[in-house]
Formats: sequence, C-alpha cells, structure tokens
Amino acid sequence: MTKDFWHAEEYMIFIEFLKTYDSVLRDPRGGKLQNVVILFNTYSDQPPLTLEQFELYLDGFNSISDNAIEFKKDVWGQRIHFVDTDKLELVKARVSGVATKWTVKKVELEDNLSNLIEFLDTEDNSYEEIINLINQPTAKIVLSKTRSKLMVPQPFFEVCTDPQHCKVLSRVCLSRTEISSNNPKQIFPSIDECYISIDNNRHLFSKGIYGCSKSKIHHLPIINTHTELNLGDCSYLDTCHKMKSCRYLHYFTLSPSITPIDRAEELQKVRKALYEQEFTLGYCFSEFCKEILPPQWINCDVRKLPFKVLGKFSAIVSDPAWDIHMSLPYGTCSDAELMELPMHELQDEGIMLLWVTGRSIEIGRKALRKWGYTIKDEVIWIKLNQLKRTIVTGRTGHWLNHSKEHLLVGLKGNPSWINNMIDINTIVSNTRETSRKPDEVYDMVERIVGVHARKLEIFGRDHNIRPGWMTIGNQVTGTSIVEEEVLYKYHEINNIN
Amino acid sequence: MFKKIENNFANHYVETQELPSGFVTNSSDLIKGYPKLQTLKELKAKQTEKYAVKALGCRVKTRDLVQTVNRWTEEFKLQFDVIMIGCMANNQRVLKFLKELPLLKLCSKPGFLFIWTTVDEIESLTTILNQNYGKKFRRSEELVFLPVNKNSIFYPQQDYSRLFENQQWNCWMCITGTVRRSNDQHLIHCNIDTDLQFENESLVSYNAVPNSVYKIAENFSNFNRRLHIIPYELGKTPIKLRHGWVILSPDVLLNNFNPLDYETQLQSKSLINYKNNQVQYLVGQTKEIEDLRPKSPGK
Repeated sequence: MTKDFWHAEEYMIFIEFLKTYDSVLRDPRGGKLQNVVILFNTYSDQPPLTLEQFELYLDGFNSISDNAIEFKKDVWGQRIHFVDTDKLELVKARVSGVATKWTVKKVELEDNLSNLIEFLDTEDNSYEEIINLINQPTAKIVLSKTRSKLMVPQPFFEVCTDPQHCKVLSRVCLSRTEISSNNPKQIFPSIDECYISIDNNRHLFSKGIYGCSKSKIHHLPIINTHTELNLGDCSYLDTCHKMKSCRYLHYFTLSPSITPIDRAEELQKVRKALYEQEFTLGYCFSEFCKEILPPQWINCDVRKLPFKVLGKFSAIVSDPAWDIHMSLPYGTCSDAELMELPMHELQDEGIMLLWVTGRSIEIGRKALRKWGYTIKDEVIWIKLNQLKRTIVTGRTGHWLNHSKEHLLVGLKGNPSWINNMIDINTIVSNTRETSRKPDEVYDMVERIVGVHARKLEIFGRDHNIRPGWMTIGNQVTGTSIVEEEVLYKYHEINNIN
Repeated sequence: MFKKIENNFANHYVETQELPSGFVTNSSDLIKGYPKLQTLKELKAKQTEKYAVKALGCRVKTRDLVQTVNRWTEEFKLQFDVIMIGCMANNQRVLKFLKELPLLKLCSKPGFLFIWTTVDEIESLTTILNQNYGKKFRRSEELVFLPVNKNSIFYPQQDYSRLFENQQWNCWMCITGTVRRSNDQHLIHCNIDTDLQFENESLVSYNAVPNSVYKIAENFSNFNRRLHIIPYELGKTPIKLRHGWVILSPDVLLNNFNPLDYETQLQSKSLINYKNNQVQYLVGQTKEIEDLRPKSPGK
C-alpha cells in the first residue's frame, strides 16, 4: 500500500527543502510540481514520492500550516505559486516546540552605495586604480571558470627530465629480446607490456625511478644497433617512416597508466554537487542530470544537403578543404562554392570556429563576414612534435616557416548563454595525421556552450565523430541519426529525391 | 603503432591556470637541435651588423609625426625598405596613422611592412590596406608573439567581452612590389625564422618590440634601410635604439637623426645595387650563408 498519510515531523524535511531551494519557484523550474518532486526526492533520503503522492503530501502540509503554499494551475499543470515563509517558521516552531525568533535582515545596499561614492570622491584615487577596478572579470566569468575547473575530465602528467631515468627505463622496457619474442611484427611494446617489464625488473633500479615511472611521462631513447648517437634527434621523431633503419635518435613515450574509473567517480560527484546547487548559468538547466546524446553523423556532399534537415546549432566547427592548389584525397571545394553554402540557416545565434591555413585566412574571414558573423577571436594552434618542440624547419611556409595554424572564431547575434573567457586563445598540441586538427577544440567549445547544446562539425571525418556532436561530410562512413526530428526530415528528403 | 596518452594542455590550463605555452620545450631556444640553422643565424647577424648604419632616433611629438614623414618624402625623397609600425601596447591607434602616413611614397618597392595589431583590429586593418593602399601591400605572413607568463610586462590586458583569454600579440608582414623567393636571394632569404616567437625569459629590460621580431625582419630582408614608427608615448621607459634602424617616436631615447647624414652613412655602409634606374641599399651576403640557407626545391 502506498503511503498517503504523514506525521507533522515528516514535514520538517520539506520546510528545510523550501528554505534551501527557494529558487524552485523561479525559472526554469517555475514551481512546477513534476520538477519540484524530482528535486525534493533527491534532497530527502526517504523513499521517493510519486507525483500523486507528492500532491497528497502538500495537501497534508497545507492543512497543518494554514495554507502556507499557494497553487496555481495553468497549461503546464499544477504549480506552486507562492510560499508563505512566516507560516513555515510557525509550523517549524510548533513541531519542534521552540519559540520563534523573528529577525529582520539589515539592508546593506545603502552602505555599498555610499562606499562607492566615497571611493570615487577621494582625490588620491589614481586613474589607474579605477581602470583596475573596471578591468576585473565579472562574477559570471569567475563562477563559470570555477565550474569548468571542477569538471576537467582527465588527469595531467608531468614529463620527467632526468636523463638517467629515461636511460634506465629504456633498457628495461625496450630490450630487444623480450619484444621480438612476443610479437615479431610489432616494433615496440605496448604501454601495458612496458609496465609489466618494469614490475618484473624493479629490483634492478632504485625506488625513486620506479615511483617516477608510474607518475611521470618519460621519453625513452630507442637505441638500436644502427643508431648513431652523435647525429642527434631525428627531425621526424615518431612520424619517421624509416624508423627501422634511420640512424638518428628516436624516442618511445612512456605515459603512466591512468585509472579512468577513479576520475569518472570523482566527476560524477562534482556533477551531482553542481546539479544540487543548480549551478547551470549559461548551460541548459538539466546540464548535470541529462544523458549526453550519442554521436551522430551523415555521409553527404555538404554542398547538396539541404541544411534545414539539420536544425539549428549553438556551435559549429568546420575545417573546410580550402582550394589551396594541393591535390588532397577528398577533392576540394572552390572558394565560391564554400561561400555559397547556406550557413545562415544553421544558427540564429552562436559561435562558429573555422580552420584556415596561410592562403585561406583572408577567404575565411570574408566567408565568416558573409555568413553574418563578427570575428571575435583568432585561436592559434602551436604544432608540436613528440618531444613538445615547435616545428621550426622544413620550409613549412612561403616566406617564413609556419609553427602554428589559425582557428577563426565568429560570433553571431549576442547570445547571453555564452560562457566566455574560460580558455586561452593558444592551443598547444602535437601534430597527428595530415590535416587532423587537435581534439582540444571540442572541450573548449563544450565549456563555452555546454555539453548538451547542439553542436555541428562540417567536413568532418570518422575520427571527428563524438558524443553530443553531429558530424557531416563526404569523409564519414555511413549515416547515423538519433534525434527523431532530424531523422524524420532526413527520410523525407531522401524519399522525395 | 603504440597508443599514446597525450596531456591535454587546454584542460590543464582550465584546472591550474598554467599557460599551455609553458610546456613547449624549445620556447627559450627555438632552434635547439639544429646546429646548421644556429650557425646560419649567427652569420646573418654578423652581416647585418657589419653593414648597419649607427643606431638613430628621431624624437617627434605625436601630432607632428605625419608632417615630419611628409617632409622626409617630399624634401629629401627619403625611402625605407623595411618599415615597422606600432609595438606591443594597447590603444596605440596605429590604424589612424596608417591612414595618414604617406606609406606608398615612404616605402620602396620591393618593400616590407611590419604592422603590430590586435585581433580586434584585424578587420579594420584589412579594410585600410585594401581601400587606402589599393591592395599594394599584400598581407604575407601573420606573426604571433607570445609572452610566456602572466606577470610579464608584455602580457596583454584582458578584455572580458572576448570569447577567449588573450595571450597573443599579432604582427602582420606585408610585401609591396615583386620579390621571388627562388631567384631574389640577394634581396630576401626565406624560411630562416618562424611565424611564432616566444618571450625570452632572459629579456629583463622593457622594450617596445622584442628583439626576435626585429631579427625576423633583418633575416628575411637583405635591404639596409629600416624604420620603426611608434606613434604614441607609451608612458614607460624610453624606446631603445637598435643598430641599423631609425626609430621615430615621441619617446625614443636619443634624437640624433638627420636625413642628409643618414643618406651619407647609407652610401658608405651599404652594398649598392643599381636596378632599372633605382638604387638598392643592400646588406652583403656571403657564400657560407648561401650554402646554409633553406632553399626552394630544385635549386
């Protein structure tokens, strides 16, 4: 039998709840009973109430509190319209048998105002002091920075610079005999195999090195019989195609094995805390309790897909195949074709990030302007090699060598939900396959628009597909659509054609 | 091959406020591990120094600056091959000066402009170069200079209406006239430097422009007439002089520039080259440099 009667003591938790969450009456929850009951159930440790039970519970509460809660009914159903906090106090006092203490909050607004006037009046306040005051970040920026800080998804490892450590670990992990016996085709052991070797041979080296191997990244020199140490480092390092015969020095990067479970649990706790505190400014209000959409992708010729199928997006990332007179495997679009894309259909307001290279920077800027964006920033990607050095040789640019690539950031409209100034406009990351861009961008975008905002990548490839993102382009394999509306429209289009 | 777990410096920045650029291992010495490039740069510096006119400054109030330059171009027919405008400071109003300066007359052909700018001004700068100068100065490279820590005097002031925190100073390199990268090795040397420079920790004293960016201009162009215009007072320490450069600014350290003396010095110091009735004042190059410098394929 379901519970339909509560003792007076059992309403105390509800009073506490209303006092803690006085925001339930305001948007986005708006006092809607179905929203309030969910929050109340997470707040109280008691068995969860159904909506019907909750209504009975509230009726009961009103009967002992002289209708402290006022309801209103509209198209969204029953909602709490008003809570009389004085009556709550009375009920609380009655039940606990303590005399009520009435206090009046002192309004401090006038004090603050007079402080400010005083500050501005003082003559010895230099101009710089006032500028300094104006140049402070807003509370919103400070708060969203803190929130993002709590939610950083992955651990960070320092790089060990002690050459002795690297030498010793290289001898242990990369001894030829052990590797060839396991798998003759493989040139290098896996990270797991390395740690097995380290554990097996831990009596051979100091405890310091053993501990360091588990906590820091090491670049182990690969010393083959053909390696000539006096030649120095190979300029291609881990991307060298002739590693089996190259006489220059190469390195094997040994990263500590991470324990993703611990990190996930930690993050879950943070999300729960943020959820309970409704710290969702700039994100959707169910940011911390909603499941992230699975990855979606559509194989298509971007020039021919009607964009109305896709709907609207908060953020768009695009790495167009700019026609830069290079024969690339995917066939480039002409500048005109790119400019003609009906990008204005994809966003009413939001951000667009556009990758450009040397010759296409100007075209990219022009395109963004044409599509209705103002260029808000230019992020640079500092391209690094395996040893975290910038690329300084190899005629990578026409007049000067290029150590970086540019990511233009356009803003359309004036969205209030943007969480700005969290990240910095320099990305530092290793190069990977030709034209593959760093994944750092995805986390950066998600910090700006939230993980549940709709996000689109145009001209994506299979490695760009990821949860919460829609990827379109002729380089993705097949099509997978989860959102009902997109699926419906997509079928509609295909049936007509 | 083997799977690598990569550190994510962007996430690490959000967590700790440690700048990602701090993890670049060669930021204090970009050409570490490239001894040939090291030698090449030393040889180039030696040549630049050998041919350089003495360090000159021209101290002129902001309001008289355009007039001074107009006198140079009209009375003395003075021209420069490398002209740098602005420096690493906010609110320099470089754009206003770009519109007023007689750059087409002041800059020789071929010639090179280095304009310091910020992201907010890039669009207006594009418009000015296209409209006021009829696309005669082509934007060829976009240099970026990064201060390496937040306490640095070079670290840019933050504007909280932006999407990202700003760490960059931008400097555009524009070319006017024709230079060919494969045949004009007496005029330009390509691919010696890169388009990204870091603040060097050893740089203690303040200067308006990092030496590394002056050096990029010197290594790239083999022309000998170099001018740097900083149109506004920076309110910090005076602008220092640099060998081989004329610095025009309201707060340059010395005021020792005289157009006629400059001409005389150039004549005696430079390698003179006549081309189509035009005199080119060059920095002489050596065979060693020619052997070491990066070249276009097939050369």
